[in-house]
Amino acid sequence: MSLRLAGLGWVTPLGHEIDVVWERLLAGEEAPAVPVESSLGKKPQYLVFRVPPEAVAEAGRYARLRRSSAISRFAVVAGLAALRNAGIKLDEAAAARTALVFAISNGGVIYTKRFYHEIVHSGAAAASPLLFPETVFNAPASHLAAILGITGASYTVVGDGAVGVLALQMAMDLMANPELERCLVVGAEEADWLLCDAYRKWRLLRSTPPIEPFSRPARGMILSEGAGAVLLAREGDLALERIHPGTNFARQSALLPQLNAICAELRQESATDVFIASANGTFIDAAEQAASAKYFGEAAIYTPKPALGESVAAGGLWQLICAAQALRSQRLPPILHAMHSAGLTRSRQAGAAPWHRAAVTVCGLNQQVAACTLQLRS
Amino acid sequence: MSRTEATKRARVAVVAMGIVSPLGAGCRATVTTLREARDCVSTIERFSVEQCRCTTAGQLEDGWLASASHDERRERRLHRASRMMIAALRELLEEAGEFQPELTVVGTTSGGMSFGEQYYRGLQQARATGPAQAPEWIANYPPQKAAIDALEALDLTSPCQVIANACASGTNAIGHAFECIRSGRYQRILTGGYDALSELVFVGFDCLQAATPEKCRPFDRGRSGLVLGEGAALLALENLEAAEARGAKILAEISGYGISTDNHHLTQPDPSGVGPRRAMERALRSAGLAPNEIGYVNAHGTATPFNDAAEGRAIAELLGRVPVSSTKGMMGHSLGAAGAVEAVFTILALRHGFLPANINFRAPDSDLDLDIIANEVRPAAATRALSNSFGFGGTNASIVIETRAA
Repeated sequence: MSLRLAGLGWVTPLGHEIDVVWERLLAGEEAPAVPVESSLGKKPQYLVFRVPPEAVAEAGRYARLRRSSAISRFAVVAGLAALRNAGIKLDEAAAARTALVFAISNGGVIYTKRFYHEIVHSGAAAASPLLFPETVFNAPASHLAAILGITGASYTVVGDGAVGVLALQMAMDLMANPELERCLVVGAEEADWLLCDAYRKWRLLRSTPPIEPFSRPARGMILSEGAGAVLLAREGDLALERIHPGTNFARQSALLPQLNAICAELRQESATDVFIASANGTFIDAAEQAASAKYFGEAAIYTPKPALGESVAAGGLWQLICAAQALRSQRLPPILHAMHSAGLTRSRQAGAAPWHRAAVTVCGLNQQVAACTLQLRS
Repeated sequence: MSRTEATKRARVAVVAMGIVSPLGAGCRATVTTLREARDCVSTIERFSVEQCRCTTAGQLEDGWLASASHDERRERRLHRASRMMIAALRELLEEAGEFQPELTVVGTTSGGMSFGEQYYRGLQQARATGPAQAPEWIANYPPQKAAIDALEALDLTSPCQVIANACASGTNAIGHAFECIRSGRYQRILTGGYDALSELVFVGFDCLQAATPEKCRPFDRGRSGLVLGEGAALLALENLEAAEARGAKILAEISGYGISTDNHHLTQPDPSGVGPRRAMERALRSAGLAPNEIGYVNAHGTATPFNDAAEGRAIAELLGRVPVSSTKGMMGHSLGAAGAVEAVFTILALRHGFLPANINFRAPDSDLDLDIIANEVRPAAATRALSNSFGFGGTNASIVIETRAA
């Protein structure tokens, strides 16, 4: 069974129109980092890549989102954009043949923090019944399903940075049901001081930009927010050729052997022209650089993280969208701030054959790794 | 789908199970407690419930939780949810040591939430850097971590999909795993669910006034809300033909699955019961069964006025006076674990010739025409059951379980 990417949508710190954001990436633009303060009055101050408010203005049309957290608004705008991009309007009958798979990692951290903060500071009696429902991992999927009128399968999958590809695998498994015509896969995250502090204490975050992919030593990432959405259907020019549903690695040092095994499997089928990495300035970069050199040495490599930040579940889908855009446009943006990337091919060589195949690897920070390949078909 | 059509597709066997819940550690202890219809809900001591209406929950005894290794430092990093999962997986593998899943699909709602709580409380303290354990709490807090820890501890290497569809997560996981095998795409999948009690979630249900200060009384006229619980349960699913060919013990079959999404409200079901009804209808259609072929319903039955009214109405309309019980009165609502725990309860009870009791039941709700298995188990030779789970976000899931005699 081969599924196609029928529609793409994203909400990123560089905006939300597919082609506009892509052109900005091609032009080498980088989202501006802004300070995020601690509601606890704690130091230090961190910097994150924020989604500009105008990028989610469309969410204001929906009463259902009135009290929702930012993550739900990002998801709804990206999901609707993917449907529009595919030229599909869901009526009741079409919605009944549409599934939703939602990928999430950190989830609704802003409301979760506010809810627990009230418990810690004022006691359980002060806890807000308005906030609690929005802390549940599947709240964003629920809002999106309600807005789209989906009454059948809706799943929220949780994981680390690999969760976007794990969600694609779930979508592919769901689409084995011939009654389903399409599956919308959405990944979304929101950024908050608490997350920055957690990743900093975990020694994975740097205090100020830029993200320097493939640097030695790894200097850390900068968090961002937003959503990515792809509509999988049975027809279209971009085939989701293969998914490697991933594996788990017990220690950081075990990532490379796992990634090598995955890349070796993906490599078997045919040559890869474009390799979209998840390199984000952490320990995963060295593993991706080594694996790509070994298995995709001929491919042009790109990571969107320096330009858009690390947005975990959304980030994996942003990578997939970059792969799709690279195959369609036959162009790849420059990797920003890559000072130690000797030996990596960065663009299509003059006179080279057209690109038709792209690989995407997603290495999470919490023991999961997965990959997929796309093929442009005439 | 007709029964003939349904059985033409790959059939899905349950070849091993593992469970740890307030009813006990392991299937054997669980059957004993189920048969006794024992109330396993107790006062919470793990965190302060001074300002809560509800002060009780179904809790595991610490001695039932498994160690992963003899490495003390590593042991300290494991969340309680991870240790529950290791205990359940260890039991499953003792029964079927040769079981090597191609995929793991499990459900949870909040995984290692209490580590996140400890980290946040640590931040409140005056020290700028927070407590020294902060990196460990953060790394082990994510909801998927307990599943990954268990796979690692028992040397399993399958990819891991963790579904977080609120209280329907466990049944969604089993149902999705069933469909994956039934479609022929997989031969063996490890599935189930887990959740450990946490202060944040406990207070959340309390502030919604969904939790009760009294006993949990599913489907009772005077029901006043749920109590929470915790646990982990795992099922080894395998293509039936392949399992029989290798001489595996077949405990049960999963033969149908239905999922529906009710867009009425984030936390309340459509009062008409359309969401649960649609999930049950789809599960029956998937199994190729008529409503009158179901001999028992393990209801979601949280004992909240809204849930039980909507679910009770849907059961009565679709299935008539089929025997119904909710086992949540005995152990509370274990959220992401509930669907898996209740699937194991259902398989164990049917295989041992009884239907589990709906305890704390005093008087029927006159609006619900249901055959409630009140307070004591009922001897029965039923072999086909529906198990329901419904959750926040409007997710509804039902599976059909068919057993063979023990």
